[in-house]
Amino acid sequence: MPKNGVRIRNFRNNEHFEHDDRSHNNTRRVSFKPGTNKGKNKWNNAKLLLDDDIDMTGSAGGVPVHRKGFRGRGGRLNSPAPRSGHGMPRKKFIAGVLPWYQITIPHGAKHEKDVVLHALLSYLSPDIFIPHYYKINGNSAIFYVDDVKLAEKLFHADRKIVMSDGFKLMVIVRNAVPNVNVDAAMKEKMKLAMAKRYNAVTKALDLTKFHADPDLSDLFCALFRPVIMLVAIDIIAENIPDIEALNLNDNKLHGIEHLRSLPTKLKNLKILYIGDNRIPHIGSLEALKALPLVELYLKGNPLLNRFQDHDIYVSSVRKKFPKLTKLDGVDLPPAIGFDVLENVSLPPRQQSFLVDPAGQGLVREFLTQYFAIYDADSRQPLLEAYHEHATMSMAANYLTCDNRNYSNQRLNAYLSNSRNIMRITDPDSRRRYLRTGRLQVVSFLSDMPKTKHDLMGFSVDLLVYTPTMILLTMAGVFKETVTAGNPLRSFHRTFVIVPNAGGGFCIINDILFITNTAKKQEELAFSSGAEAAPAPAAVPAAAPDVASAAPAPDDNAQKMMLNMLSQQTGMNEHWSVNCLQETGWDFQRALFVFNQLNSEGKIPPDAFVK
Amino acid sequence: MSHMPDPTTKAIEKACETAEEFTRVFYKQVDNSRHLTSKLYLDTALLVWNGNGITGSDKIQKFLMELPSSNHVLKTLDAQPIADSLVANKLSYLIQACGEVSYQNEDDQKPFQETFVIVAVDSKWKIVSDCFRFQVPC
Repeated sequence: MPKNGVRIRNFRNNEHFEHDDRSHNNTRRVSFKPGTNKGKNKWNNAKLLLDDDIDMTGSAGGVPVHRKGFRGRGGRLNSPAPRSGHGMPRKKFIAGVLPWYQITIPHGAKHEKDVVLHALLSYLSPDIFIPHYYKINGNSAIFYVDDVKLAEKLFHADRKIVMSDGFKLMVIVRNAVPNVNVDAAMKEKMKLAMAKRYNAVTKALDLTKFHADPDLSDLFCALFRPVIMLVAIDIIAENIPDIEALNLNDNKLHGIEHLRSLPTKLKNLKILYIGDNRIPHIGSLEALKALPLVELYLKGNPLLNRFQDHDIYVSSVRKKFPKLTKLDGVDLPPAIGFDVLENVSLPPRQQSFLVDPAGQGLVREFLTQYFAIYDADSRQPLLEAYHEHATMSMAANYLTCDNRNYSNQRLNAYLSNSRNIMRITDPDSRRRYLRTGRLQVVSFLSDMPKTKHDLMGFSVDLLVYTPTMILLTMAGVFKETVTAGNPLRSFHRTFVIVPNAGGGFCIINDILFITNTAKKQEELAFSSGAEAAPAPAAVPAAAPDVASAAPAPDDNAQKMMLNMLSQQTGMNEHWSVNCLQETGWDFQRALFVFNQLNSEGKIPPDAFVK
Repeated sequence: MSHMPDPTTKAIEKACETAEEFTRVFYKQVDNSRHLTSKLYLDTALLVWNGNGITGSDKIQKFLMELPSSNHVLKTLDAQPIADSLVANKLSYLIQACGEVSYQNEDDQKPFQETFVIVAVDSKWKIVSDCFRFQVPC
């Protein structure tokens, strides 16, 4: 014990000037009444000056600035005499929950790092500890160890080693992990260290004891910290998404719930080593359940100790990973399963269904005409298309399983008129939102945003085709042509069609659903060119060979009208285009004009030369 | 052809209430007791499932049984009366149900739209036609 030994125990912080003032040539002498500073975080100046006999020599009446943050931790400070049996169990080491321990050597700064470590290593010999992240903070030296046993031994080394200067080395042990902020530079370092550990042939990444990687020695890069693990997973997903094997052995992993993203990010991961960690319970593996694992290594985790019967352990793990063939390095006997439909796939989708092939022509013509008018400037001509007592309703709703939130996804223009009877519950409103009679129907349709439908992308189902009734469902996308941003919408619509007095047909029920497009729909929208094969079966002949005279290639409705007019009149494309252009792409008017002119003999013969 | 007046508030409300009850029963059956679903279809009913047509309640039952187990969540519902004269001179409704469905072997939720024509036969509602589509072609 140094002769002026002011004993200070349990420092938490740096700047331990009171002690060992020989090294500082500091002439201050400070003594405290025992216990007065117990548990204080800050100096209370007034109280301090009143209560304590501080020798202010050399500090010019101020409070020593270095004392800031000086904190006693449950012990009496600076009592001049060594104490024992004072009711303070000061030598009881309590293991913490964190896997790392911070070792603080007050006044360690005055010794070389090697000297400090050599002294400690000699004392602990034959045990060896690896000091991580050794650094000087003020007067203290601080480093970390990742082993609880060594932390305890270091704890007991407190004031046991007499240094060359005659002072006993103090050792303060705290259960703590180094703070870390993952920045771009750190991520880059991690990436390089991981690249080094990746085997491209076997698609295997070995992250065993990653924190001890020599390339990361200056960083605290422990995968048991969720923030670091998630960065590591991101690096894997960005750079080697097809990874098949991952070794996370010996990383002090405790909770792995945050690995929930692993199955979605690393879809091909079949082999996972996660042994020699601290996974406490088999339930923790729930987060990884969706991984198609065939091999798993769990040995060395506390969860195994919970099973007295190894077979129960194996079957519990297999319940989570039914495809497992190897567990903890041991091949598993093939599981005896049940012959149940394990991977039932959905039947493939068909673009269209026709209950009666004879209905194809009518459906094609009806839809072409209907949407040509619907997509035109004025929807008024649709009056012809509706029965006198037609009913029509539109319901709109957001696409909830797509969380993209673009402003043009707003469906305000529809929602205010939406007849979703899950929301519209009062009978009067339900009646009001149902448009009845052709005038009301067409006036309602006219008020909806102007559109352009992707006719070629329609899926069309003809469900009833009898002389008295046609039931037709169509679905697809349309673009709002006048709305800012020209948003795409998805729709699903059903017509009940009946014959009208004039020998044609009209809609008597029209039920329409409008929602946002899914990403896939946007990619496909307006993409089926005229020559693209998967034209709807209901409108196959409407995919014409488009000559150069044809309108813009994305203008499917016009193409279809052109083809139909050409077929019905026998005119060539050039004349058909002329006729449609002159009538503003109104098919019925074009046909009417043609019939009129033809009957008057005003159409030249070369109009029919193809 | 029909000389029916515009439907009354009462008739419309009846259609809506039936649609609510029908979809509740229908999706409960499909999700939880699919082996009994065919009872909801007319013997001659037509199911068009993503463009695949299946006629007759027996075949519909077989088809449905082969689909993976499902969970439908309804988000939007709409219904209209259909003119009596059109479906066997019986009371019939057009029902449009939209929502999300997830299947046993897949995690994602698929938006779907389904349109039914149901008809009252001997004091039971039966499906005449059922047109089911996923919103996203895939």
